[in-house]
Amino acid sequence: MLVVWCPDWPVVAWGVPLDEPAAVVVANRVVACSPAARAEGVSIGIRRRDAQGRCPDIAILERDVDREGRLFEPVAIALEGITPQVEVAGPGLVGFPTRGPSRFFGGDEQLCEEVAGAVEPILAGRGACRIGVADGIFAARLAARAVRAESLAVVIPAGESVDFLAPLPVGELAVPELTDVLGRLGLRTIGAFADLVPADVIGRFGQVGQLAHRLARGEDQHPPDLRRPAPDMAVTWQFEPAALQIDRCAFAAKALADELHASLSGNGLACVRVAIEAETESGETHIRLWRHEGALSAAALAERARWQLDGWLHLARSARQHQEQENEPPDDVGVGAGIIRLSLIPDEVVPASGRQLGFWGGRAERADDVTRAVARIQGLLGPEAVSVPEWRGGRGPAEQITLLPAAAVDLGEERVATSRQWISEPWPGRIPLPSPARVPTDPVPVEVLDVAGVGVGVTGRGELTSSPSIVSRHASSSDRSTLAGSGDRRRIVQEWAGPWPVEERWWDVMTHRRRARMQVVFDDGSAHLLVIEDGSWWLEATYH
Amino acid sequence: MVALAERLDPDLLRKIKPVTLSKDRLLEVPEVLRPLMPWGGIQRGTTVAFAGVGGWSLAMAVMAEALGSEGWLAVVGVPSFNLSAASEFGVRLDRVLVVQDPGPGRWGTVVATLLESVDMVAVAPGLRVGDRDRRRLTARAREQESVLVHLDGGRTWPSTTDVTFEVHASSWEGIGVGHGHLTKRRAVVGVKGRRTGAASATVPVWLPDENGQLSAAPELAPVLSLSS
Repeated sequence: MLVVWCPDWPVVAWGVPLDEPAAVVVANRVVACSPAARAEGVSIGIRRRDAQGRCPDIAILERDVDREGRLFEPVAIALEGITPQVEVAGPGLVGFPTRGPSRFFGGDEQLCEEVAGAVEPILAGRGACRIGVADGIFAARLAARAVRAESLAVVIPAGESVDFLAPLPVGELAVPELTDVLGRLGLRTIGAFADLVPADVIGRFGQVGQLAHRLARGEDQHPPDLRRPAPDMAVTWQFEPAALQIDRCAFAAKALADELHASLSGNGLACVRVAIEAETESGETHIRLWRHEGALSAAALAERARWQLDGWLHLARSARQHQEQENEPPDDVGVGAGIIRLSLIPDEVVPASGRQLGFWGGRAERADDVTRAVARIQGLLGPEAVSVPEWRGGRGPAEQITLLPAAAVDLGEERVATSRQWISEPWPGRIPLPSPARVPTDPVPVEVLDVAGVGVGVTGRGELTSSPSIVSRHASSSDRSTLAGSGDRRRIVQEWAGPWPVEERWWDVMTHRRRARMQVVFDDGSAHLLVIEDGSWWLEATYH
Repeated sequence: MVALAERLDPDLLRKIKPVTLSKDRLLEVPEVLRPLMPWGGIQRGTTVAFAGVGGWSLAMAVMAEALGSEGWLAVVGVPSFNLSAASEFGVRLDRVLVVQDPGPGRWGTVVATLLESVDMVAVAPGLRVGDRDRRRLTARAREQESVLVHLDGGRTWPSTTDVTFEVHASSWEGIGVGHGHLTKRRAVVGVKGRRTGAASATVPVWLPDENGQLSAAPELAPVLSLSS
């Protein structure tokens, strides 16, 4: 494999000249900087403030991944002149198998010169490009990282990738939770880890360990006996009319990505390389391969498809502008005509490992534990017995949360409806916070009396007919429960507030409800929420 | 030796520590309650109860702190437990399981099953718990390092709980006679139980304060009787 790596791509994508100090930050941490900034002592990982301290006239840029993806397409196109098998791993990183091209150009070194010659005009002096050649893509990437300033490429001869990897620290495997343990076991280099027996690695570290071990031995992460997916796994979107705007394409890409991901996982597969194909009105077909080491998730698929389409469209647009200025005849770069068809074709698939379990007691494993307990209780009590809460929104204290059967949700996933921010609409007539801690399933019927012993009601204008003084259990009720925790059937009201009238579903005669709520504090210091409907009072909740 | 331990990264120290004593397996309690706890937190594998008017709010605040962002809570057989109030105190609803009605005779099995996988199980059994269930649940909590929480003050538990939080003298503010609304509550919290040592101190708290959280309240001056 040959890998072309543009180390400062996030900065290059912003179009910063080499001699101007600039840094791209995410969450106030520097993720990339220009050579000029590096010369001033700015490095990746430092805080934005430190970067500004070391280099006061530095330009701070926010990361724009879409821009990086879009502007990387010319690099891929330049490499297409050398080999058709170009695969993009991400903005700034592209690779292709060397076997054919290397023989054609007369060796790996010559190939590297060809590649550099093709890529450098695109970068136009805005950034460096580094080339690594090795057996696998992982080793090739590390080889590209090992390129020092003057040289152009590092070529690891065939079969020697293992020796190249062996002295590197295990941290290069980029599996933090694994390398942490390996370090404590005394395995500090990739070579020491590679020397372990594969069966032992799988037994001790599971699948994460197995994949990392394959990398350490200079093999590709996934075994080479890849099943080619059936051709009907490809998903296609027809545009009618033809699309030239990225918004429409992105929408289609999202839908296709979801569809492809669902059909793959339905077959127990995950996609590690996908071909994105677009056909235009003028009959051209554009195709590009994208690779991802882990399996591509639906969101990652959609993102890559969007970058790709944006890249093609952007290229055609800028070419057109250029031609208009120069009065040149149009040539075909990028997607000039409207896109009429978009396809996502899974190119290499691997058996899906399912959700990756954290061997070290991670979140996913924990959720699995809980899911097993849920299954046992469902076996005992029935499928509806265990439920999980979600926000629903409402005025009454019992209406704000709804319970869903636990069987219906994935406990290991984030669920948006469990955060209060999910409820965006205000509910007029809501009782002010704090919420009562205790809301009985069945409200308790009570009587509310004023000093004279006359029942208190609420007028049509939402006011109390008189001041409440005593709350007592309904004389007619037969059960012997007492007023919420207190031993008595009668309680003196010391303070009260309200009423807050609530009119629900006034547009519907059948379900229309008029109610009013009132907070009361009894002489024992306990506070409660009372509600009146159709002239009768109920104790609805307790501020326990 | 001391110098070495000080020089090492605290994270590393925690990892290489050979034995964990049960007192090290602590669940955090809210800052204001820390002086009440002899170990400074709730020990995993114990039973905890909350009593008094305001006990449920205190339970919600304490559980929110103990569970943090990753801990799981199960609520068994307490349909009146208002999860929106728990959420206001900071309990993460995506880490909550609810068993509304465990059914007669199954309560002990359900609670035991949940003690195996979640960090805290909140219960308020309607009937007195049998001695067999008590032994089984105590053992299960100890083995699995989970915590059984009694919302009814441990009234139905046939032996003393390890720690009982008691809320005394609660009084609401913000509400008047016909105006305002409940905003905050002043209360006094104390602990008792087998694992609380001789601590008999109490702390004044807001339960909740105006932000809906548990926080320290200033001491009130003692009320003196003016009669001779």
